[in-house]
Amino acid sequence: MMKPKTADRIATIVFWLLGGITVGVLLFIILQIFGRGLLTALNPKFLLGKPEAMKEGGGIFPMIISSLYLTGLTLLIALPVSLGAAIYLAEYSREGRVTGAIRFCVDSLAGLPSIVFGIFGMTLFVIYFGWGYSLIAGAFTCAILNLPTLMRSSEESIRSVPGTYREASFSLGATRWTTVRQVVLPSATPGILAGTMLTIGRILGESAAIVYTAGLFVRKAPTSPMDTAAPLASYIWYAQTEALIPDFRRVVDGGAAFLLLLVLLMNFLARRLARYYQRKKLAGGADG
Amino acid sequence: MKGSNGAGGRERVIRFALFAMASISIFSVLLILLFIFKESLPAIRSQGFTLLTTNWSPNVSDPSAGSYGMLAFLNGTILTTLGGMALGAPLGVGTAVFIIQIAPERIEGILRRGIEMLAGIPSVIIGWFGLTLLVPYIARVTGTSGYGILAASIVLAVMVLPTVVVLSMEALKSLPHELEEASLAMGATRWQTIRHALLPAARRGILVAVILGMGRAIGETMAVQMVVGNARQLAFSLTERTSTLTSRIITDMGESTGVFRSALFAQGLVLLLLVMLLILGVKLVSRDKKVK
Amino acid sequence: MRKNCTRNGLLVGVVILALLLVMLAVGCGNGETEESTTPAKTEGEYSGTVKASGSTTVLPLAQEAATGFMEDNPDATVEVQGGGSSTGITQVKEGVVDIGNASRDLKDEEDDGALVDHKIAFDIIAVVVNPGVTVTDLTTDQVKGLFTGAIKNWSEVGGADAEVVVVSRDQASGTREMFDQEALGSSKDAPVVPAESAIETNSNGIMRETVASTANSIGYLSYGYINDSVKPVNYNGVEPTIENAKADTYPLARYLHMFTNGEPEGAVKGYIDYVLSDAFQTDVVSKDYIPISEVE
Repeated sequence: MMKPKTADRIATIVFWLLGGITVGVLLFIILQIFGRGLLTALNPKFLLGKPEAMKEGGGIFPMIISSLYLTGLTLLIALPVSLGAAIYLAEYSREGRVTGAIRFCVDSLAGLPSIVFGIFGMTLFVIYFGWGYSLIAGAFTCAILNLPTLMRSSEESIRSVPGTYREASFSLGATRWTTVRQVVLPSATPGILAGTMLTIGRILGESAAIVYTAGLFVRKAPTSPMDTAAPLASYIWYAQTEALIPDFRRVVDGGAAFLLLLVLLMNFLARRLARYYQRKKLAGGADG
Repeated sequence: MKGSNGAGGRERVIRFALFAMASISIFSVLLILLFIFKESLPAIRSQGFTLLTTNWSPNVSDPSAGSYGMLAFLNGTILTTLGGMALGAPLGVGTAVFIIQIAPERIEGILRRGIEMLAGIPSVIIGWFGLTLLVPYIARVTGTSGYGILAASIVLAVMVLPTVVVLSMEALKSLPHELEEASLAMGATRWQTIRHALLPAARRGILVAVILGMGRAIGETMAVQMVVGNARQLAFSLTERTSTLTSRIITDMGESTGVFRSALFAQGLVLLLLVMLLILGVKLVSRDKKVK
Repeated sequence: MRKNCTRNGLLVGVVILALLLVMLAVGCGNGETEESTTPAKTEGEYSGTVKASGSTTVLPLAQEAATGFMEDNPDATVEVQGGGSSTGITQVKEGVVDIGNASRDLKDEEDDGALVDHKIAFDIIAVVVNPGVTVTDLTTDQVKGLFTGAIKNWSEVGGADAEVVVVSRDQASGTREMFDQEALGSSKDAPVVPAESAIETNSNGIMRETVASTANSIGYLSYGYINDSVKPVNYNGVEPTIENAKADTYPLARYLHMFTNGEPEGAVKGYIDYVLSDAFQTDVVSKDYIPISEVE
């Protein structure tokens, strides 16, 4: 039998090792991606150039526009719905069978693989509604996909608004809706925004749900929501799966670095907002 | 109440509107189930039990003449998921314990932020990384093509890491402080405390973390497709190439019609049922906790 | 102190975001000016949109032709996508695209009488191996054995002692269809398929990349895609070259097609005529393929 002290020491070393591996993997991936692609990614000719179908030297400009356009449209659809749902769950409903069913469905939606959303969106929006591969089809698919995250973070932010705020508002004779609109929502906004930023990061990185709804490759930036698009993440996959351009490694490396930059920026903003929110709630108190 | 009728009526309309928005999630789940099921019906009807064999020989120009057994890909999904969890779960839980119990307070925040960052990296990027670094490396070490179950498992381990770490951390953090203090006060070492007091107490939460990680692994598509080799064989060895349900769907969906396409939807249906089963498992595990 | 930190962080974030937006705005401007300079050229006779999809073997040619055609006809747009020969044929029949590109003939079950065949070039398929493979010559039986998995080790065909990695194409590929038939001897009644362990690739491009990056691998490519990263091998002692195919000594050759649903009209006709024009056939097609006039 090993002495407890020795076992403890060995365990400590093992845990340091495990933590070290995790951090190592993370750093390795991020440094590799940036190391290989950052120079390409920050080259204006690459960022603002048109993609090539067969020749080298293409850029990713229409893909960036597609990504941003898709993100905007998705939020336009998902944000009001998830906010409404979150308000209902947090402010209007009592826990019961209906809310139980809603929660189970939200959990299920959150767990479904994005490829399932992809083939669902393809059947319903692309084929059944006849929208074709289009931004709008991608946006609806992505909206359903991200509903759970948005709903949960909004509900949490709404719930964390102190009850005293509401009581004060009610005691002034305000209706529930007035209270929600004028008291609860303003206090919950930073939290909701933080959740939205994280969702933006997820939409930007999503590919499996997008390739068969919004599209894979375009040469011109989309203008109408009915246009076929090629969000960056799905183009990265396409470029490496088809490898029709000779310099696809450069394009994928550069695209990946730029995409990672965008996603990390969104996560960073989300954290700042959350931190700001927490500080405001604690009203100048000490925080961790 | 002042202006009771107008305000009350408005309240009712708003309440109904909000309820409608909340029900969209139920509606979406039903719609997804309905459509995936409806689309897979032709394949289920015409193929029957052939769907559950390893005979995968699609016919693109005459889809109904092909044979669409998905067993090899279901096997691929299960093996890569298990492989990913075998690597990712101990690493994830260990990292969570490390962050909460062992890491100096100063670096705890940095670690947590790092894990969040890892969660944010899009799967195409991790897949690209696996394809350009991991596959050649495995090829060099093992003398095979490098594509296969091992490569997919490692990629999946990286992808489930954030889920497992974050949820395990939550489980460990929700334990009462007294538990740790009592154990330490009785003269137990830190390892003894972790092993005999903390981990057993948090085991349900950790189980949920692992199950949800598994759900992520089963559904992961792009990253796996890039490294698993896209072969149609039933594979059991680590360096053999195969496909998963997800990789098959994404590879063939654009080029399939008729029964071929329907068979891919049937694979989606199996995927959906697998994940639903896991979610049910999570519900059961966490409900037990509340009863106790 | 901490508070400042946060504020700085937020500021940095906002600045980066603003920079990105400015860059995008500049990009938009760029795109527009670029667009507005092109129509200054002579006006072409065709306008409208031509959509094509299908074989990745035909794709480089179709894309090249699209660029040239759009330069001559600024009001016309040609969109070409891949997907594989079967996809192109299915989509042109369904009316999703105007032109279905294919690197194989119509099959009986696909021929509904309405599709019009336009042969645009003659192409050869070469068996290629990873540059590390020492074998330079393979017989019909060896190729068949290697691809079906009967031959598992390179030493069996005179190479080093290493396991063979077979790379094949996807189901919708006309190149694969043709290769399975001509090289593996597959027929409708007695299908021969590649080894179960074969890596399936979705295009000529990724086929080349996979063979180039995977040691001990063997695959096949349309001639236009061959470059230094892969090694073509002789088939029954005949080198895969355009000359040998013209002389009828190299057997793995086929026509490339563009299919239309009914006789083409308007811009679609203009585009196909452009592909078949002497200028395009001698300037572009002859580089990697055999111009159609030289075989018919």
